[in-house]
Amino acid sequence: MKRRFAVFTALAVVCACGELLAGRGMSPAVVWDVLGGAGDATERHILLQLRLPRMLVALAAGACLGVAGLVLQSALRNPLAGPEVTGVTPGAVLGAVTATALGLAGWESPLAVVVAACVGGCSGAALLWLLAGRGRGDPAQIALHGVLVSAVLGGLTAMVLLVAPGELGSVVQWLVGTTEGRVWQHWHLLWPWALAWSAVAWLLAGPLTLLRCGDDIAGAAGLSAARARTLALLCAVALTAGAVAAVGALGFVGLLVPHLALAVFGADLRMTLPGAALVGAAVVCGSDAAAQLLSRLLAVALDSGRLTLPVGALTTCVGAALLLVVVRRWPSRTF
Amino acid sequence: MAAASVCALSLGTPYVPLYRLPGALLDADSTLAGVVVTELRVPRLVLALVAGLCLGAAGLVLQEALRNALAVPEMLGVSSGAALGVAAPLVLAASIPTAVQPLLAIGGAVLGGGLTLLAAGLGRSPSAVLLTGAAVAAALQAALLVLMVMADQFDLQLIYRYLLGSLSARTWDDVTGLWPWLLVASPALVLCAPVLSVLRLGDEDAEALGVRAQRARFAALAIAIVLIAPVTAVCGPVAWVGFLAPHLARWLNPAADAVRWLPWSAAWGAVVVAVADVPARLALAPVETPVGAWTALLGVPVGVALLRSGPRKPAARRGAARSDAVRSEPRGTGAEAVPTAGKETG
Repeated sequence: MKRRFAVFTALAVVCACGELLAGRGMSPAVVWDVLGGAGDATERHILLQLRLPRMLVALAAGACLGVAGLVLQSALRNPLAGPEVTGVTPGAVLGAVTATALGLAGWESPLAVVVAACVGGCSGAALLWLLAGRGRGDPAQIALHGVLVSAVLGGLTAMVLLVAPGELGSVVQWLVGTTEGRVWQHWHLLWPWALAWSAVAWLLAGPLTLLRCGDDIAGAAGLSAARARTLALLCAVALTAGAVAAVGALGFVGLLVPHLALAVFGADLRMTLPGAALVGAAVVCGSDAAAQLLSRLLAVALDSGRLTLPVGALTTCVGAALLLVVVRRWPSRTF
Repeated sequence: MAAASVCALSLGTPYVPLYRLPGALLDADSTLAGVVVTELRVPRLVLALVAGLCLGAAGLVLQEALRNALAVPEMLGVSSGAALGVAAPLVLAASIPTAVQPLLAIGGAVLGGGLTLLAAGLGRSPSAVLLTGAAVAAALQAALLVLMVMADQFDLQLIYRYLLGSLSARTWDDVTGLWPWLLVASPALVLCAPVLSVLRLGDEDAEALGVRAQRARFAALAIAIVLIAPVTAVCGPVAWVGFLAPHLARWLNPAADAVRWLPWSAAWGAVVVAVADVPARLALAPVETPVGAWTALLGVPVGVALLRSGPRKPAARRGAARSDAVRSEPRGTGAEAVPTAGKETG
């Protein structure tokens, strides 16, 4: 177990380094120089004010999404319950978009956007909670209603965007999920939030492991299933809202990372929750590095500087491909 | 439907009162009202009705074939494929002759649906097909969003409007483009309806009755794609009509089977789109809102309500039988969302 943790920590570190190196216009040697304290002002600025916070935000957001996905899937006992299909991500997007359209927040002030996204994510989840029968509904019902709530919230976002079409350009980046232009301010907002709620998730690991076994077994073990589930859902919502506020709706991370973590670290959530955080961080950071590298290559190949590949596009495509492979290989398991 | 049609024809600027409507329809060229009604509103209404028909029927075919209350065109990659087909040449500034343009969307839709079918291995199991569809749709959506990130503001507005499904500025040309597809699809639809009612018994029972479940499912999916693709090409993905219409049809006559639900579902689809088009045109006049946003906003809550309230009384026995059929199917947890939904709709 320790070795697996070590391997994945190493992987996350490698991805983080890759992320630092992958951007345009700086050679690895220059990056090394700057990290050692040398380099001219521009290079220092690029590395310390742009790339470093971007890397940290990507790591933290990935960890948040991984943990949130695992908590959601365990609490709802549904392997397909990613944040995308429980109304949390669409709600957060809607909150942020609405706040901007109303002029309450600007894209240049991250704090207001974060608050709006959290409020939106929580209202999305609350809507789901109300619809699915105030927490006593069975997991399948919750999943079903989650898809529908997400659809409604998506429709509302579309309406808001139509009323305020000027926002469209900046929002699209958000809908797909990108780490571009994330600065220290984002990081300062993200990390206390992520840390606090990750700690809550870690405390919930025991009850969640029981919940995975089913309500009857959890009840027999003396756990109030409904209460534990409510708390777990709250925790997952908070983590997702934070991540979405920071980087936008990264597709498939919250859905696939938990499966990877469960496969690697086993079913004991006290081990697997930190594992999921590690895997999520490595995945998002690695994808971001790969996205930057790819857009560099594409820019050279197509000879147009306009093209940048957002990290969300990459995670969605890779996630979709993985999902296809899994569905094909184990059709009877369907995950 | 009649009320919605009259509203669609008479409301708006200029307002044409009911009693003048026949006159306006008869001498089209002489008055302003006549021109507006015959050249703009009638084709739009016809398009809305046809689109609703297609989407409603396709939704029922999908839901019955996959035995899944959530199997909608949006989740099978068809809509996203068509949108990609429209958006790609716009953004990449490729010069495409106007004659080819509608074909691009249809090609995209067929590509999306075909990709789903191919990846799903010709319909291995209902939930696997659905999952595959969701994955393909998400990937296509991501590609689309990348294109949107690259696009400039004007293109963005165009693409966005199309993505939501809009009936604005559609003329007779668009309507006539749909007929060949409908001619192909409707006989196939009639032929496949009886098979659908067998499919919903579950794979094993269907095989026992002599239906090759996989092939039948494949055929049903292909028919659904043929129905959805041209509509999506013309008016964009009008969201959640394919979800709402079959549920309405089932709720109103729960004792029937797929054969009888099919026309009802198509009719309800037509009504839903026609009704939703009225607020789409008028709510924020003079700005037009896309009809797809309205169908999503209205359709999903109503659909949820129908799902939750369950079937009206006579279906109790039937619902029980069906849930047994679903339960006997040894599928994994991915199908978990499915059986409950099936039970509810019964």
